[in-house]
Amino acid sequence: MSEKKKPKDLSDVDRGLVAMFLNMSIEERLRANDNAVRTILELRYAYKKQKTIRTGFKRSA
Amino acid sequence: MPTKSKKPSGPDLSALLEGLVEADIQFILVGGLAAVIQGAPITTMDVDIVHRQSPENISKLLGFLKSIGAFYRRLDHKVIEPNREDLEGKGHALFATRLGPLDVLAAIEEGKAYEDLLAHTIEIEFRGHRIRVLNLKSLVKYKKTSKDSKDKRRLPVLQETLRQLDET
Repeated sequence: MSEKKKPKDLSDVDRGLVAMFLNMSIEERLRANDNAVRTILELRYAYKKQKTIRTGFKRSA
Repeated sequence: MPTKSKKPSGPDLSALLEGLVEADIQFILVGGLAAVIQGAPITTMDVDIVHRQSPENISKLLGFLKSIGAFYRRLDHKVIEPNREDLEGKGHALFATRLGPLDVLAAIEEGKAYEDLLAHTIEIEFRGHRIRVLNLKSLVKYKKTSKDSKDKRRLPVLQETLRQLDET
């Protein structure tokens, strides 16, 4: 895991993460974004599904 | 009770980008994906482009939008297909497509359109195609003037990316 260093002016930015992305190729950066988007959507879907199941249980109880 | 939600098939923003260049559309990539391409570690859910508003280019764009099942993203979920008038206009046309959300912008901050932005682009090689991308310096400049809270939150990351790029 990259170590977080605090720059003087940009205290919230993970500079190590920026350096890591700058070392990637354009294709790798786009793939990382696509994968992140898919993961977010999958998690949202799982959350929505779980919420629906819970609501269903409450109604039938 | 079974869930009514449909499992997302998953957007493919790289394929959306590739489709735009393969359809020979003249555009400048702006927004989050432009920042991602230039190394900013952010995640973006859509593709933002500023298109050249020539009649020929708009015809190509319209054809491409139809080929990927584009319709306007609306709160009322009414399905309205893209039309030429909107692509010729001055506003933003926000679409949902089979490959993911696509925002087609006539202009960005300060009313900058395709021709105004050309001098501030870099050309990148992507899957054998050349793509024009708004450079990071300009992205930072325009995000600074943006009223969007998402843009404001991202700004420090873009600035740090620019700083590290300038160092190398």
